[in-house]
Amino acid sequence: MSTHTKQTLVMIRANLSSLPRRLAISVSMALSVALVVCVLAGFLAMAKGFETALTGAGSKMVAVVLGGGTNQEAGSDIPAAVIRTLDAMSGDIGVFRDSVGNLVSSREIVVPVDMRQAADGTARTLALRGMDAAGPSIREGITLSAGRFFTPGAREIVVGDRLASEFGLHVGDTVRLGAVDWTVSGHFSARGSTFESEIWADLDAVRSAFDRQGQVQSLRLRLADPASLKLLQDKLATITATPLVALSEADLYAAQSGRTASLIRLFGWPIALLMAIGATAGALNTMMSSVSDRTVEIATVRALGFSRLSAFLGTWVEAIIIASAGAILGLIASWLAFNGWQASTVGANNARMAFQLAVTTDVMLTAGLLGVAVGMLAGAISAIAATRLPLTAALRAKG
Amino acid sequence: MTQGNDQDPYIALHGLQKGYRMGGEAIPIFSGLDLSIPRGDFVAVMGPSGSGKSTLLNMLAGIDRPDAGTLRIGNSRLDQMGEAARSSWRAHHMGIVFQFYNLLPMLTAAENVELPLLLKPLSRKERRIRVEKVLDLVGLAGREKQYPAMMSGGQQQRVGIARAIVSDPGLLLCDEPTGDLDRTSADEVLEMLRFLNRVLEKTIVMVTHDPQAALYARRTLHLYKGDFVEEKRAA
Repeated sequence: MSTHTKQTLVMIRANLSSLPRRLAISVSMALSVALVVCVLAGFLAMAKGFETALTGAGSKMVAVVLGGGTNQEAGSDIPAAVIRTLDAMSGDIGVFRDSVGNLVSSREIVVPVDMRQAADGTARTLALRGMDAAGPSIREGITLSAGRFFTPGAREIVVGDRLASEFGLHVGDTVRLGAVDWTVSGHFSARGSTFESEIWADLDAVRSAFDRQGQVQSLRLRLADPASLKLLQDKLATITATPLVALSEADLYAAQSGRTASLIRLFGWPIALLMAIGATAGALNTMMSSVSDRTVEIATVRALGFSRLSAFLGTWVEAIIIASAGAILGLIASWLAFNGWQASTVGANNARMAFQLAVTTDVMLTAGLLGVAVGMLAGAISAIAATRLPLTAALRAKG
Repeated sequence: MTQGNDQDPYIALHGLQKGYRMGGEAIPIFSGLDLSIPRGDFVAVMGPSGSGKSTLLNMLAGIDRPDAGTLRIGNSRLDQMGEAARSSWRAHHMGIVFQFYNLLPMLTAAENVELPLLLKPLSRKERRIRVEKVLDLVGLAGREKQYPAMMSGGQQQRVGIARAIVSDPGLLLCDEPTGDLDRTSADEVLEMLRFLNRVLEKTIVMVTHDPQAALYARRTLHLYKGDFVEEKRAA
């Protein structure tokens, strides 16, 4: 072990051993760092949870066709003639066909409906999606967790697990959506994705109940493989009746999640950084107090021949250790408080979209590093002050 | 006024100048100080407050630099060294005994004494042997694991002396070593310094206000307004 390392270790040990003398102010520094980490982790967990909910919903194997020149389901309209033309196309158009040669597809519309929550009776707007019978099976990761899927033509709904627990919907219950009653036929799981925020029913039943006869907003098609999307887009380009857009389900949701997640981060980072500046000022105060408290000790070892570097590192490492303790505390608190916490926002069609906050490894790493950075910055400034202590004055002070 | 033996001086100051600025006003401390101290001498430096005792000691320790003049200790010109070089020089050639002991309270007696050895390429075992040896020398064998707070002032100062001599420096600088001790403890510490000078042949420069402490030195120099005005030799 080099003499520099030995000097530094002694300085670090001396600093840490004297921490009890500055317990209150050191704890306050750790807590302020913990708060910064907690706030940032909260925002990042929100963005991450939102992304997980949306990106988990998308598959590269599913194409979503939208009409009317929009790339969102809300304003889309696909005329029936277009669907008939597409169905009539023979040969390979990039879409998977069933055993009798029909395209595996689902025509869909989304209708916003109000439903009262079981807990407090407040009404929430939810997305009721009408779809063909193939709709659930086209999507990936959908499993039935209770009951059965809706019967074609019947006023039956299947609800995502998240909605079922939140609104207290049991299989066999009757709920009023719009002007008619619907029977809950089953619950489905979508691995926590945004689909679990939806209510699914038969397309014709929805169109009839909400006076949307003949309307189709989107057409979902199971692709032969992800690369087949290009072939489908080329085929759609030959249909000139209305502008059509085909994009993968993954891209559709990624675009939606990207905008909102960016917005969440746009709010989260400035708040966290402003708090970090405050925490840095607090940490600087703590560490300057630490240097002041150890003036005689630092001056003594410097007089014995210890290097400026060891004095710097001793103080710097102390700050980093306190900040790291605060960061760990903040991460534990944010994980306990936020991870898995249910949140919701307004998604497409003004319908509520629920998601779970996710304190993932990268969220913890980012928030934790910001906390440590607070300690590193404040520690470095005070450590420089430690190396510049006037030895002449310090040696006369009574320790 | 040149003080001491000029034949092969171990410490040699020539034309030393040092001053401070206070509120824009220059305050000279030394304006051409000369001093020669031969190897193995034990010099007490006395003088009223503001006479320059501490400034002299700080410059001898390489903690402060003269504005002009030469300051040589052994073969080293401290006045020409940078801060890092003086720090390294201190670590290898000098021990310092402080008025308030300046022990690190969170370290044991042995760990405090070991500090200067951390600056040398010694193994843990070599350091432990040296620490035990000097603690035995200052009469503190068996107290290696005691913390400063568990010791009397006299014992703490003996730990301070052990720390100053553990790396076997040729020069000891003592800054009011008995200033914070009762008479009995002070005499024990001064006997210890005399032993180090007479038996181990350490060169010692001791700043003190205490005339009785000065009696333990081989000679006493009196500083007044930045210059030596009197020298007394021990009987």
